[in-house]
Amino acid sequence: MENIISPENIVYQKPTLLNDNDMHYCPGCSHGVVHKLIAEVIEEMGVTDKAVGVSPVGCAVFAYKYIDIDWQEAAHGRAPALATAIKRLWPENLVFTYQGDGDLACIGTAETIHALNRGENIAIIFINNAIYGMTGGQMAPTTLMGMKTATCPYGRQADLHGYPLKITEIAAQLEGTCYVTRQSVHSVAAIRKAKRAIRQAFENSINRRGSSLVEIVSTCSSGWKKTPVEANEWMEEHMFDFYHVGDLKVV
Amino acid sequence: MKNQSSEVVLMKGNEAIAHAAIRCGCDGYFGYPITPQSEILETLAVEKPWETTGMVVLQAESEVASINMIYGGGGSGKRVMTSSSSPGVALMQEGIAYMAGAEIPGLIVNVQRGGPGLGTIQPSQGDYFQATRGGGNGDYYVLVLAPASVQEMADFVDLAFELSFKHRIPAMILSDGVIGQVMEKVVLPPFKARRTDEEIQRECPWATTGRKGGRPINVITSLELKPEAMEKHNLHLQEKYRIIRETEVRYEELYTEDADYLIVAFGSAARIAQKAIGILRAAGIRVGLLRPITLWPFPTKRIQELSAQVKGILTFEINAGQMVEDVRLAVEGRTPVAHYGKMGGIVPTPDELIQALKENFKLENA
Repeated sequence: MENIISPENIVYQKPTLLNDNDMHYCPGCSHGVVHKLIAEVIEEMGVTDKAVGVSPVGCAVFAYKYIDIDWQEAAHGRAPALATAIKRLWPENLVFTYQGDGDLACIGTAETIHALNRGENIAIIFINNAIYGMTGGQMAPTTLMGMKTATCPYGRQADLHGYPLKITEIAAQLEGTCYVTRQSVHSVAAIRKAKRAIRQAFENSINRRGSSLVEIVSTCSSGWKKTPVEANEWMEEHMFDFYHVGDLKVV
Repeated sequence: MKNQSSEVVLMKGNEAIAHAAIRCGCDGYFGYPITPQSEILETLAVEKPWETTGMVVLQAESEVASINMIYGGGGSGKRVMTSSSSPGVALMQEGIAYMAGAEIPGLIVNVQRGGPGLGTIQPSQGDYFQATRGGGNGDYYVLVLAPASVQEMADFVDLAFELSFKHRIPAMILSDGVIGQVMEKVVLPPFKARRTDEEIQRECPWATTGRKGGRPINVITSLELKPEAMEKHNLHLQEKYRIIRETEVRYEELYTEDADYLIVAFGSAARIAQKAIGILRAAGIRVGLLRPITLWPFPTKRIQELSAQVKGILTFEINAGQMVEDVRLAVEGRTPVAHYGKMGGIVPTPDELIQALKENFKLENA
């Protein structure tokens, strides 16, 4: 048994940039997986000394506690504005934002669209779980029609709330974007694809190819009031039906 | 603008801000057009400093974005600035509070216009409260400089950056539509190189530059959920503000030695007051001027001292009476304090000020 624990036998390990702080995320939440992928990609690219992340307001507000790179914590929705300046002032650096649907597609819509449209050389990681998780399950801009939340307990309806926003489709129409993709992390295969997408977006930032947007269709088992397994099933059944997974734009 | 020496040039206050920024090693300007300060961004666009000093210039999508670009850029250790006018600066208050909380240096220029709301595009000093009280949420201040000439518009850019980085506090140049638009003679400051990335890493070890040399991580945030830690952070900020109050007060005095009456005025109002004082003195009425240059920290002690000497103090502001509250707090009832001002974008004349002084303190025409 002693012989098995040796470096040459390691087939998987936690990325060293992902520290040992206890995560505040709920069981089954997609954030933990995406955090791990970001840590892995930065480590594999060897750009720890160039990486600057901008965390949002929302569940990922404390992203800076878990991944050992430089971070700035933005005001709600303003991460792309911070990232714009940081990247323009430190053009060699890898600069990315990490934002949820409320942050990116609601209060920060202007900053998101304009940063992407200017072709800022930043990567945006967009967690879309169709709900406000941190504040306790309220309706988000991406909440599906008929989906029940704390602020639409009878389900989202068009006459009261309008329609879910496909901001990633909008991003794909913008001249400044070079890479727009929608991924998920509910299965091993999906995680592998999502990791490749994050790597592509980060390389685009380093190499100054334009703006990249990686949407991760995610679960919020607490907000959705489901077990982690049920949440994954519900996501596959309902979320993927509206938010189609795959590349929307590759330049 | 090609002059390298101490050549005298004629330009608007807004243009002087832009030229001074390029010359003082500013790394980036991020702003959104609004009257009466759009010449700042326009001048930078014409000068193209990205081709000479490497200074970044970006027209943002809003004032909300501009200030958050300053928050991001300042957080990464760079000398960055924005400019706007009153309604735009109102939009920036959230970002300024974040910068104050996270102790991020940066410069905000407010070329004030009349309010409230969309108000008018004519000059005003109606944002004194907003600037000196901390217009956003929480217990904080920004360091506020009030230029009274185009020369000071040019000189205060570098001064504001120096103070801002020294104390890790956002700095504001509180100007107004008069000083922004008036053309005057000015000697532009000498060129100063932008700091190198290595210098920034050395001077701003807290900045998000990327973990160069494998150093520990840097996090810029104003968030802390543990009350004890948040209280400690607030106490630290208050201690910093105490030091700034003790060390960074700036003001100018004119004819105060023998003054029987004192006018307290800042910015363009102080220029009008100077003219009025000349006329009053010629008529035998001994009036002096105290012009706060820093509005926060405020020259409280000096006004206290002068209140023991004079028979009355008139604050003269282009607003309904805002700084007068700070003067009254300094004077503590020792001598009468009155206010004279106009609103709506109307700039009072020296004659109106003279009349107001005479009426308030029952002075006969000498």
